[in-house]
Amino acid sequence: MSARKPYVRKMSKTSWFLTHARFKSYMLHEVSSVFVALYMWLLIDGLFRLAKGPEAWEAWLSFIKHPLVVILSLIAFAFFIIHTTSWFKAVPQAMRIQTGEHFVDGKLIVGGHYVALGIFSLFVLILAGVA
Amino acid sequence: MARSAKAVPWFLFAAGGTITAFVLPVMLFVTNIAPPLGLFGEALSWETMYGFVSNWLVKLVLFGIIGFGLWHAAHRLRVCAHDFGIRADTAVAYVVYGLAGIGTLATIWALLSI
Amino acid sequence: MSKRNIQLEVLRYRPEQDREPVFQTYTVPCEEEWVVLDALNYVKDEIDRTLSYRWSCHMFVCGSCGFKINGEPKLGCKAFLRDYGDKIRVEPLDNFPIERDLVVVIDDFVDKLQSVKPYIIPKEEKSVAAGEYIQTPAQLKTFKQYSMCINCLLCYSACPQYGLTNQEFIGPAALALAHRYNMDSRDVGRSAREHVLASHEGVWECSFVGACSIVCPKDVDPAGAIQQAKFTSAIDYLTSMVGIGGK
Repeated sequence: MSARKPYVRKMSKTSWFLTHARFKSYMLHEVSSVFVALYMWLLIDGLFRLAKGPEAWEAWLSFIKHPLVVILSLIAFAFFIIHTTSWFKAVPQAMRIQTGEHFVDGKLIVGGHYVALGIFSLFVLILAGVA
Repeated sequence: MARSAKAVPWFLFAAGGTITAFVLPVMLFVTNIAPPLGLFGEALSWETMYGFVSNWLVKLVLFGIIGFGLWHAAHRLRVCAHDFGIRADTAVAYVVYGLAGIGTLATIWALLSI
Repeated sequence: MSKRNIQLEVLRYRPEQDREPVFQTYTVPCEEEWVVLDALNYVKDEIDRTLSYRWSCHMFVCGSCGFKINGEPKLGCKAFLRDYGDKIRVEPLDNFPIERDLVVVIDDFVDKLQSVKPYIIPKEEKSVAAGEYIQTPAQLKTFKQYSMCINCLLCYSACPQYGLTNQEFIGPAALALAHRYNMDSRDVGRSAREHVLASHEGVWECSFVGACSIVCPKDVDPAGAIQQAKFTSAIDYLTSMVGIGGK
């Protein structure tokens, strides 16, 4: 008879991410999807109202200005920033660019993404400001 | 072990993740944070917005952002459910992808009626 | 040489007497330049011969002495005491059954490693007389990072998905190694690995927590390898779906 009696430790399937700081930050960027989904549906609603006419559109705009929605928007903005930064950070791992015997420095790839983000954001802000 | 069909939604997730990472912060700022601050009042008036979104190129871009955004969020929500201990992965997949599908069709419908 | 007394809290499990693991604290007079493995060796030699743990090379080549040290998967030989306070907690790696004290059962990993066929599958076998399989330095560089794995299992200990799926997930090291051979210019075995790599339990179970790459003592970056493998597998899936071959 074998004297072996391996001991299996239990892992919580619902609160495991509280056991380490990097799991918490992982869950934070995963949860950003809730706000992405909500925002997409808000935009779809906005498009329908835009199609319906000026009054319906004004109602959408005043909904946006409701204090509760403003607070949710600020939280969503924070989550979008978390999504953007965590996504950019991961890019060099998922996408290596090899030139001969070397790889393009990951910092260069991430930096390029931030430059593009800056240019695009500026473009949208100018468009909204002068349109 | 069989090849997983997760490959398809993953592609949409990855593409959507990249698009949303670039677009959503500034977009949310313009649509949700600027109005309460009284910014861009002119640009967000019905006349300007309707004229802007009437452009076919703008429609296409909006469809890309919302469509990919929906599928990105859907796939990540599926993973989230798993991570929070919800083990009914198939049922979760039907719900999140189903909603993303409905949202995609709704986006097309809304854009076509402008 | 300065000495320092360290309280070494070791999780112990003696199957013949313990119903569950318990911590035992040893006071170890340590040299400042020691690593945690040295402290364990001191315990074994001078204090308590019954303490069980694996180790061999003492220079992060063999991959035997992986432990959870103050909550972080580490090699005992690479965890320098100067980076720790006077109290150090040593536990067996997470996500594996405990055989005894700090020794874990790794059979599951060994099976998974074999399942990905971690060896070169050439287009045609050549005899030694026919010469070597030629490869340029650039082709070597493409996969070299992923070939540095020493199977220490720190990545499996750090990976929540391996635990959450009750060890069904093929896991970081095995998938990274599969990717390493897929990227090798001398290898044509991608389709032979695909039924494991591209399965639900393969790369698609990974949610890119990224912990594996952070804890890897050899900078293998399994998380990166898996994301790249997801991309090629997804391309394969789509091309075979629309009927233009695929692997």
